[in-house]
Amino acid sequence: MLFDSPAFFLFLIPVVFFYWRMNHRAQNVFLLLASYFFYGWWDWRFLALMIGSTTMDFLIAQKIVPARQNPHRKQWFIFSLVLNFTILGIFKYFDFFAGSFVGMLDNLGLHHIPLPLIHVILPPGISFYTFQEVAYIVDVYKGRIEDSRTFYDYGLFISFFAHLIAGPIQRPGHLLPQTQNERTFDPDRFFDGLMLIFSGLIRKCIVADNCALLVDAVFGGQLGPPNFWVVLLGTYGFAWQVYGDFSGYSDIARGCAQLLGFHFMVNFRQPFLAHRLQDFWRRWHISLSTWLRDYLYIPMGGSRLGTWKTIKNLFLTMVLAGLWHGANWTFVIFGAIHGIVLPIERFFFPAKARAAANSVPAPPTGFFALWAQRILTFNILCLSLAFFRATSLHAAVQFLAGLSNFAWQPEYASAFFLLCLYSVPLFLIDLHLEATDQEYPFANTSYAFRTAMAASAFAALALFSGSNLNAFVYFQF
Amino acid sequence: MPSFISNSRHPAVTCAKILFAICAALSICFEFLSDYLLKHHSETYARISQQYADALRVRPAKPGEPMSVLMVGNSLLLDGIDVDRLQKLTSSQLDIHPIFLEATGYYDWLYALRRLFQEGSRPQVVVLGVGVNAFLSNSVRREYAPLMFFDLKDTYNIASDLKMDRTGASNLLLEHSSAFWDTRSVLRMQILKHIVPHCGELFLLLKPQPPVPSEPEFGTIANPRLQQLRRMCEAYGAKLIILVPPTPASEDAVHEMTLASRSAGVETLVPLDPAVLPANYYQADAIHLNSEGAAIFTVALATCLPRQLLGHDAVASRD
Repeated sequence: MLFDSPAFFLFLIPVVFFYWRMNHRAQNVFLLLASYFFYGWWDWRFLALMIGSTTMDFLIAQKIVPARQNPHRKQWFIFSLVLNFTILGIFKYFDFFAGSFVGMLDNLGLHHIPLPLIHVILPPGISFYTFQEVAYIVDVYKGRIEDSRTFYDYGLFISFFAHLIAGPIQRPGHLLPQTQNERTFDPDRFFDGLMLIFSGLIRKCIVADNCALLVDAVFGGQLGPPNFWVVLLGTYGFAWQVYGDFSGYSDIARGCAQLLGFHFMVNFRQPFLAHRLQDFWRRWHISLSTWLRDYLYIPMGGSRLGTWKTIKNLFLTMVLAGLWHGANWTFVIFGAIHGIVLPIERFFFPAKARAAANSVPAPPTGFFALWAQRILTFNILCLSLAFFRATSLHAAVQFLAGLSNFAWQPEYASAFFLLCLYSVPLFLIDLHLEATDQEYPFANTSYAFRTAMAASAFAALALFSGSNLNAFVYFQF
Repeated sequence: MPSFISNSRHPAVTCAKILFAICAALSICFEFLSDYLLKHHSETYARISQQYADALRVRPAKPGEPMSVLMVGNSLLLDGIDVDRLQKLTSSQLDIHPIFLEATGYYDWLYALRRLFQEGSRPQVVVLGVGVNAFLSNSVRREYAPLMFFDLKDTYNIASDLKMDRTGASNLLLEHSSAFWDTRSVLRMQILKHIVPHCGELFLLLKPQPPVPSEPEFGTIANPRLQQLRRMCEAYGAKLIILVPPTPASEDAVHEMTLASRSAGVETLVPLDPAVLPANYYQADAIHLNSEGAAIFTVALATCLPRQLLGHDAVASRD
């Protein structure tokens, strides 16, 4: 069920309606069943995998609580990590690594090595719910949180439909207590939830889906062989597409959660206004970047073990972040570009105090210096996104090789106009949000004004939504 | 127990209810407005409605009457055939009834023809011309076709044929049921044409062209489709002819289509060899024929079609 499809709203409205008429225990059971229905709407066969994985981690967590002093708790902990990453690895990466291995042998002259590829369909949301399960297991093992005593609470924490398919990746310390404690109906947050849903739909259906038309044409070759203008159109267009798409999804997810009395962490904070790549990762897919920081970068040593180890840790974290997005060398290169640029940034723009090693250097005070750094950061990001979007390394290199050709075609003007038509309003909204520090546009205005804005958004959605329902880009991850 | 009702006096809840009501009212308005615009201002809707109604009246020719032909296809025929001229040139031998809807392919016409037959249309010959890649593509047009060509049961069958997921299937169902949902991208296009310069040309360029697979995949896809169409036409007493309009560099595809049709027991008609038609007979999109190309293609079709249907002698004696 896609968040921007009418079917989803036919699902959501009755869920919200009946949910608030139940007591806490019934609410959790009802939401868990609704979430399983939501997940099974794609393919019910994957439900068994998710329920099985959830159940295993629920049971293992009870054996690794520090207070219970189970002598085998470390073994159970390692077993859980291995189990989770094995499931993820088999479904997401087995064919990639096996195929790459066979390709490497082929290059070494060892042809026709029979390695079985499993050709299994990637279960929706597996990367997201696996990361949540791992976070839960680690936090219980380290004693940061109590284990969940009831399966319904834990099952809901993992499977809640609002974050199940594409996040935001929820921290157990934040969401699990919300499933365990009684939720009260808060009219303000309920209304904010509605506004977030409208904001998300505008980002997804108007900005992302329309940019996708241009981007698909660029990468599909309909605008001719790549040249400077085509590359610009493709990478800039994709940057706005993927931002509109994923931030839109996150807004809708957060909005749905608020309609049901939950709170999700903010996942995007005007990422294209970042003045450094380090700053960018503090604004983009925050739930993933903080997960990687807390469960990968810091456990590896973070920036505590000297310059070279910091560089190594940063590089490894970013490469793994790239690989998390998909089983393709293009994603590895995407991550590697960030893994190379981030240490360079740290070298040239060190944080002023060592205590603030993980904090972003303060933005330059001058208007032109700030915007020059923002534009540079955006363009480095766009360069890496060419790899993110391309279907293969060869295609990405071929695409970027067009940058040296400046041949202009008249139809490019219309294409750039169309891109500006959809991206500039979102850019202006981001400037407004950055200046006002609001969650969504006009968040501090009266209810009546926001109602009018939401009604206008509904009309705009009806008239300007992209023609076909496109699956959210991050669903494939 | 927490409830909306207990908080119903809170301004946030009141505004949420008002917003819900506005959205519902706007949806109804959009539906009525789309229906009105479609029926009173859409040239495509008017053309297809008239052609569809005309096609429903088609009956087998009586002795001495010209043979009844239902000719269906997409923009390759819409732009490539001067229908008035074709009818004039062939009027003594053929009674041609066209239905041409842009961006349609095999599945659109499989279900449209089935519905036409079920509703009483009885042509002696069905000529289908959609171009090779549209014939092989796995899609249906999401505007006009669900509303005008498919019935409710068809939407389930199409969703199953195209292996749509439940979201895709429910959207197709909505496109069949709602004039607004069916035509919203057409409405958006009309608005964009007033905002973006040369928008029409740009969108023609942006439209992806499905690739034509090579053998043996070509035959694996084409053969069952051709046989299914042939069996359906034969069940209603009609002969099926696959018309292959010229597109640039489509010689190989045309050749493979001819072979596949032959093995499926379906006749093909290639009035113009794509290799002999220079680029200046095509529009700027390099796909559709321009008016000069259309004039040549129409004459070639007017010559070939009666010959194929009636044979050399019959054509000569009628002439």
